[in-house]
Amino acid sequence: MTMIMAEPVERTEPESSAPTEETELVRRARHGDLQAYDDLVKRYQERIYATIYHMTSNHEDANDLAQDSFIKAFQALKSFKGGSSFYTWLYRIAVNKTINFLKQRKNRTHMSLNDIDFNAEHDPDLMALISDNTPRRAAGLTELQKKLNEALLKLSEPHRLVVVLHDVQGQSHEEIAEVMGCNIGTVRSRLFYARQQMQSYLSDYLK
Amino acid sequence: MNENENNFESLRQLLARKRREIPPPGYFDKFSGQVIARIRSAGHDSASKQSLNEAPWLLKLLRMFEAKPAFAVAFASALCLLLFFGTIFAEQPESAPQPLLQASAQTAVPFVASLSPADMTPPANQTGIIASTNPVFDLQPVASLFGDQNPLAQQVSFTVPGN
Repeated sequence: MTMIMAEPVERTEPESSAPTEETELVRRARHGDLQAYDDLVKRYQERIYATIYHMTSNHEDANDLAQDSFIKAFQALKSFKGGSSFYTWLYRIAVNKTINFLKQRKNRTHMSLNDIDFNAEHDPDLMALISDNTPRRAAGLTELQKKLNEALLKLSEPHRLVVVLHDVQGQSHEEIAEVMGCNIGTVRSRLFYARQQMQSYLSDYLK
Repeated sequence: MNENENNFESLRQLLARKRREIPPPGYFDKFSGQVIARIRSAGHDSASKQSLNEAPWLLKLLRMFEAKPAFAVAFASALCLLLFFGTIFAEQPESAPQPLLQASAQTAVPFVASLSPADMTPPANQTGIIASTNPVFDLQPVASLFGDQNPLAQQVSFTVPGN
């Protein structure tokens, strides 16, 4: 499947906008109400999918893992105590599933980067990011995206996750710490290290 | 930290662009439906597995059918035959009831004959209610209150104390 590039959409924070409604949906879903769970899936499907996609760089894997995560969450709803928000709990399930999958896929070198948008070469914002010294600048943007994904895949899973959640998804350090079950200091240090690694991988391509 | 943030600014902008990588239009319209369908199907599967776990003989039977399809054919043929004969017998008119009690009375005669009348009379000094344990030896048809039905009446010897 070909991924397309689109203008970023401002995300609303569902858990802060209607926490009561979400609690009610979770309560109904726990009693087997699939319509309520359908509403919950619709709320979070894009964010869960995006996180998994950026972790795996493969649409088919992301699709399967996202669906599996929602199914597992539904089956485990009875164990959801409400200590955190449903979204954080769901995110943990998705992240753990993805990390387990990536560990199994460790030796797989194939990347389905069929998602490169060739029109991106006409994007002035992106053009400005590319170093003048980039080899073969004409093909630079496509190659840059490819290199970026390769650099992401070279990171360890925890480091990649921090980069994806922070720099791609735009989550705060606190939210990431909650999802990953570690403290904020760890999140910051992982983020710094991961960026350093990526910077070195992409040094020929970035200004 | 700010210096570090500035150092990574190009990288951050590049990574932020990845937000624009989205699946084709319509993908998310179907997504939740697929999840719910899989949940439903998983529910049906688990119900089937539960019923098989509750009836292990059924599981063995099904496995035998899988291993040897000839068994499945034989089993199905047997079921069809059973159904066929069951239908035929069900359509036949009911036969007249056999006088089973009379037959049993006749068979009881030798036993009765071996007993003397003294054996059948209760002892005179016995007190309390005594029901006779005389075996059935004489069954007489009584007038029927319900048309042709002719139940058999049994004569009972009953002794009331003090009479």
